[in-house]
Amino acid sequence: MSKDGLIKTGIEGLDDILLGGIPRTNVVLLQGVTGSGKTLMGLELIYKGIVEYNEPGIIVVFETSPNKLIRDAAGFGWNLDELQDQKKLQIVFTTPQVFDQELRTADSLLLETANEMGAQRIFVDGIGLLNRDPGGTNPEGGGYRELLQQLIESLNRENLTAILSLELGGAPGSMATVEMTDFLADTVIQLGRERKGRRIQRSLEVLKSRGQDYDSGEHTMQIRGGKGLQIFRRVQAPSRASSKQPTSSTMRSVIGVEAVDTLIGGGIFDGSTTMVVGISGVGKTVLGTQILREGALKQKTRGLLISLDEHPAQIIRNAQTLGLNLEEQVADGTIQILFESPQELDVDAHYARIIKLIEEHDIKRMVIDGMTSYSTAIGEIAVYRDFVHAIVAYSKQRLMTSFFNYENPEFLGVSSYMPDFPLSSIVDNLILMSLVEINNSLHRCISVVKSRGSKHSFDTREFVIGQGGISLVPLERNLVPPLPLQGYSSLLSRAPTRFSGAKRINGAAAVQDQE
Amino acid sequence: MGRGKPLESPVQSCLDSMGISLLSEWDVLAFVYRHRASLASSDHIARLIGYESTVVRAALERLESENLIERSRPSKGVRFYRILASTDPGRQRCLQQIVSLSETRAGRLLLATRLKPNGSNRDEKNNRIS
Repeated sequence: MSKDGLIKTGIEGLDDILLGGIPRTNVVLLQGVTGSGKTLMGLELIYKGIVEYNEPGIIVVFETSPNKLIRDAAGFGWNLDELQDQKKLQIVFTTPQVFDQELRTADSLLLETANEMGAQRIFVDGIGLLNRDPGGTNPEGGGYRELLQQLIESLNRENLTAILSLELGGAPGSMATVEMTDFLADTVIQLGRERKGRRIQRSLEVLKSRGQDYDSGEHTMQIRGGKGLQIFRRVQAPSRASSKQPTSSTMRSVIGVEAVDTLIGGGIFDGSTTMVVGISGVGKTVLGTQILREGALKQKTRGLLISLDEHPAQIIRNAQTLGLNLEEQVADGTIQILFESPQELDVDAHYARIIKLIEEHDIKRMVIDGMTSYSTAIGEIAVYRDFVHAIVAYSKQRLMTSFFNYENPEFLGVSSYMPDFPLSSIVDNLILMSLVEINNSLHRCISVVKSRGSKHSFDTREFVIGQGGISLVPLERNLVPPLPLQGYSSLLSRAPTRFSGAKRINGAAAVQDQE
Repeated sequence: MGRGKPLESPVQSCLDSMGISLLSEWDVLAFVYRHRASLASSDHIARLIGYESTVVRAALERLESENLIERSRPSKGVRFYRILASTDPGRQRCLQQIVSLSETRAGRLLLATRLKPNGSNRDEKNNRIS
């Protein structure tokens, strides 16, 4: 037991949500529909209590065969037989009637057994079966409530932390049973099993927990083959930093990519967030790769590339064709690549994996390539917004320099930076990568349209992608025939207008003699 | 049947070594084995496996006397019933073999032929085996 009187559940992620654990001797109610994971959670609470915290436990089952419980536990690598042989676990098969009687008996065999083995946790699977009058037809009433009170009393007397599971269903009177049980329990954890499209998503919510604070809201729960349960904190839950951290810095770092550093005024603030907007194929991924590689090689900063679109091997191969060798950095861990399929993306779990990678590898530079795939994968705009806000807030809290690639659907020119979800206001810098049609060919251009706290250029510059990545086309040797870019107006519109006789005045394009 | 014959002799010898001669005794033993530790009355067990209470009570007594199960002290008619780990490895092996056998339909049919139906006179059964 921890010093603060909390018992650890041992379930990955759950103790974080409970801010350390559950107050000892709290009566914990696990409620949920069929298949939501109640029995597994109760089982894991007992198993982890024994093997990780040396707290012997008892499991009481009414409906489940102990043999099946033992078999199912073995699937997670938990050897319950061994624990029973060691007298650290006792699985008891009984009937609700006998259990009821036991709780009313002074010389209860069950509590005697608990005492003999020094049990500290007890899991009763299917507490709703104790209610003999679920329809509430008994005019006397109070039978189930009284029984629950007796149960709580007797378990508290034995200093046992009780975990009870309760099936939520549509049986007549079941709501009354649930309300009564919820009221009497100290900690109520609701497990959910919901269909999202054609897949199933499991969730966990702490509805109440007497004597402690906890992270409210619906979190994601996953059953991992061979491991057990894992809970992922909902992404939008406020972060609980142990100490105050600065969220901005006056330190400015060069990116190492000339195209960006030149336009942005020599670098960007550490801890700033940058959105890179452009159509598919314009070079956003190349820029992101270059930013991470330059960071690792020249700034000695560890980087993370997150993609929902391309496998790491493909990213490495594509970079290699441009002479950007990522293999070494990936091999030595200075660059991490996280790929997850967008098909069944669970945003809480994905977010947790990102945070884990950042913290484990002390990531200072992050590129998310790209945001549009999240929008498609997540589906719900509110969840997408929560994810983006959370990742931006976390990035700032750690003073990471982050880049978010956003694929704008507009081919020539943009009428809106981010049509599906306007994020431009929450990022510090906004870089626009565009295709421009001049004569009969497309040219790539880059503009910095926003850079908080920086004196940046408003010039739109042409760039090319070649060996080494992205490089600006020198102004003096602009390859766009017959006039340099400064010879056009409305480059970002869908119909740039060409002028003759253009010349540069103080670095800005001046227009003369419109044709 | 011919393929089943080689099995019959070891099965019979296992049943004999465990002192089980009635089908009800085997069914009660299998129930206790499957449930590891049952907190129940003999009436509850009878209802769950579909026997008369008197038959189950007799079976429980027989199994306890054969040191196959252990019963706790009674508390309002309820006891803990557990399989008693045998110190005799041969007997332990027999129990495992019969449990495995009873997991198949063919095995259960074989056991049914080797054990007397419930309520039969034990002496008659013993006579039949000898």
